[in-house]
Amino acid sequence: MIAIPYLTALTTYFSYGLLFAFGQFRDFFRKIFDWCSANTLQGYAPICLGLEDFYIRRLYLRIQDCFGRPIASAPDAWFDVVERYSNDNNKTLKRTDKISRCLNLGSYNYLGFAAADEYCTPRVVDTLKKYSPSTCSTRVDGGTTALHLELEECVAKFVGKPAAIVFGMGYVTNSAILPVLMGKGNLIISDSLNHNSIVNGARGSGATIRVFQHNEPSHLEEVLREQIAEGQPRTHRPWKKIMVIVEGIYSMEGELCKLPEVIAVCKKYKAYTYLDEAHSIGAVGKTGRGVCELLGVDTADVDIMMGTFTKSFGSCGGYIAGSKDLIQHLKYTCPAHLYATSISPPAAQQIISSIRVILGEDGSNRGAQKLAQIRENSNFFRSELQKMGFEVLGDNDSPVMPIMLYNPAKIPAFSRECLKQNVAIVTVAFPATPLLLARARICISAAHSREDLIKALQVISRVGDLVGIKYFPAEPTKQQQEGGKTVKFD
Amino acid sequence: MANLYVKAVPPADLNRNTEWFTYPGVWTTYILILFFSWILVLSVFGCSPGIAWTIVNLAHFAVTYHFFHWKKGTPFAEDQGIYNRLTWWEQVDNGKQLTRNRKFLTVVPLVLYLIASHTTDYQNPMFLFNTVAVIVLVVAKFPHMHKVRIFGINADK
Repeated sequence: MIAIPYLTALTTYFSYGLLFAFGQFRDFFRKIFDWCSANTLQGYAPICLGLEDFYIRRLYLRIQDCFGRPIASAPDAWFDVVERYSNDNNKTLKRTDKISRCLNLGSYNYLGFAAADEYCTPRVVDTLKKYSPSTCSTRVDGGTTALHLELEECVAKFVGKPAAIVFGMGYVTNSAILPVLMGKGNLIISDSLNHNSIVNGARGSGATIRVFQHNEPSHLEEVLREQIAEGQPRTHRPWKKIMVIVEGIYSMEGELCKLPEVIAVCKKYKAYTYLDEAHSIGAVGKTGRGVCELLGVDTADVDIMMGTFTKSFGSCGGYIAGSKDLIQHLKYTCPAHLYATSISPPAAQQIISSIRVILGEDGSNRGAQKLAQIRENSNFFRSELQKMGFEVLGDNDSPVMPIMLYNPAKIPAFSRECLKQNVAIVTVAFPATPLLLARARICISAAHSREDLIKALQVISRVGDLVGIKYFPAEPTKQQQEGGKTVKFD
Repeated sequence: MANLYVKAVPPADLNRNTEWFTYPGVWTTYILILFFSWILVLSVFGCSPGIAWTIVNLAHFAVTYHFFHWKKGTPFAEDQGIYNRLTWWEQVDNGKQLTRNRKFLTVVPLVLYLIASHTTDYQNPMFLFNTVAVIVLVVAKFPHMHKVRIFGINADK
C-alpha cells in the first residue's frame, strides 16, 4: 500500500507516454530507413523481435549511466566508484582512470562480510591453499569435499531444519529446484512480487501457476479456495500437490512477509509452503536466523526454506533446507546438484566462518553486535527519512528501504546528484518495478557507522529538496544531540 | 489537488505490459491526453472544434487499434515469447472479460464518437468516418472477439 500524490501519478503516466510515443516514432522511421537500405539477409530470422528490445533501445540507454556502475574496491561501507563518460548520449559509456570514494548505500552487505573480516578472511585464505579455487566438478562427480558436507550440516542447524543442500549459484537455487518439486497436475500459488528466479522456476516446472496479491493472506485464502474447488484445468480433477511460495523480505519493497498468517492459511487448506529467505537470512532476527525467528514462526511449520549466501554472508550460492527425505530426493534429481559445478571451497569456508561469527562461536560477540547494529541502523535511517517527508516502503527492522521517486525524469536526477555528493545509490525503475512506482533502493549495512548514516541523510535531504521527492510534509525541524554535536537534517 | 494522495496496491498481474493500467490515475491521464490533443489540434490547424474532435477521434482510433488490437507480444525479452500471439487487449486483466478497465476502454471511443458527431452536426463525410471508426473499435472489444482472427488476419506472427 503506497500513497502517491495524484498529480504525481498523472505526470508520471504522461512522462512515460511521451517517452513511449517518441520511441515508437523513432522506431517507425528506423523501419523505413532499414527497408530502404535493404540490408536484410534473405532466409535469416531476426535475432530478436524489434518489440522485445524496445525498452532497452529507447528508454534504458538514455539513462544507462545510472545503472551498472563499475566499482574498484570491495563493497564495504565506503567503496570506489569508477567514473565514466559518454560522447554519444549514453549509447556507449567509456571508463576513466578516476574513481570516486563513495558511501555505499547500494550493496546487500547486511552484516559487513563483503570486505575483509578478521575471523573469516584468514580461514578462507587457508582453505584456498588447502583445497583449490574450484572443484571444477559436480557434487556427484568429484566436487564434494569435507567442507561441503560441513557446510550443509552447518546451514541445516542454523536455519533449524533436519537437512540442507547447497548450490553454487543463488538464482539457480530457485529456478532449478521448482521444476524438480512441481510438475504437471500441480499448483503453484505465488506472491505477485516474487523474484524473477521464482517466476522462471515456476514457469519451467509445467505446473499451473496462480498469483495472489502481494502480502495479502486473505487473497491467498481466496485463491486457494477457488482453485481447490475448481480443480485442474479442463478435467477438474483434484490437484496432486499445492505449493505456496513467498519471500521473507521482498527486495524491491523491503517488506517482511506476513508469515504467521500465510502458514495458518496453508495449514488450513493443506498446502505446502516454500519460503525464499534470500534477503532475510542473516539480516533479521535476534540471532540472524531470518523471518521465522523474527516473526515467531516455528521452522517445522515451513516445508521448504530457501536462502542465498550472497547477501549477509559475503559469499555466493544458495541453499534449500527441509526434511531429510526432501533433501535426499533433491540430491538424486536436481540438475543444479547433478550437473552444475559445486560451490567453491573458499566460498564455502566463508559461509561457515560467517555463520560461526553470527552464532558467536568465534569466541567473541561480534556477531551479536553486527545484528544489533544493522537493526539499529535500519530503524534509525528509516525513521529519519520518514520524518523528512520521503515515502519510504518496507517494515521496521528491514534493512531494505525504497524511497519513492515515481517520475522517470527523477530517476537519473536523483542518482546523478547523489553521486556528485559521493553517495552511491541504486535506482530501480520499470520493468523491474511497476510503471508508476520507480524508486531508489537503499540497503543498510552493519558496517555503516552513525556518522556515515548522518552524512547520507544530509545528502539525501538536500538532493530530495533539489529533485522534489519529498512528497509528504516534513516533521517540524528539531535538533538532535549526537555525541554532544548538534546535527540538523533539514 | 496537489496534496491529494491515492493508494497504489500491487495487483496480481505479472504482465508488465498490462499491469500499469491497473494503477490509480490511468483513466484521468487517458482523458487528459485526449483533451490536450484536442487543444493541440485546435491550435495547430486552426479549424473548427468539430473538425478538431473528428481528427482526435480518428487519431485515437488509429493509435488504439494499432497498439491495443493489432500489435502482439510484449516489449520485454524476459517474457520469453509467452505473449507473442496475444494483442494487448487479450493480455489485459489476464484475459478476464468485462472488467472495469475493459468497460472504460470501450466507453471512451463511444463518448468520443458522440462528441465528434454532435459538434459536426452529424454531417457527412465526418459522420461516416466517425461511425466506421467507432464500429471497428467497439466490435474489436467485444468479449466474443477474444483471440478471434477474422479470415486469419494478423494471425500467428
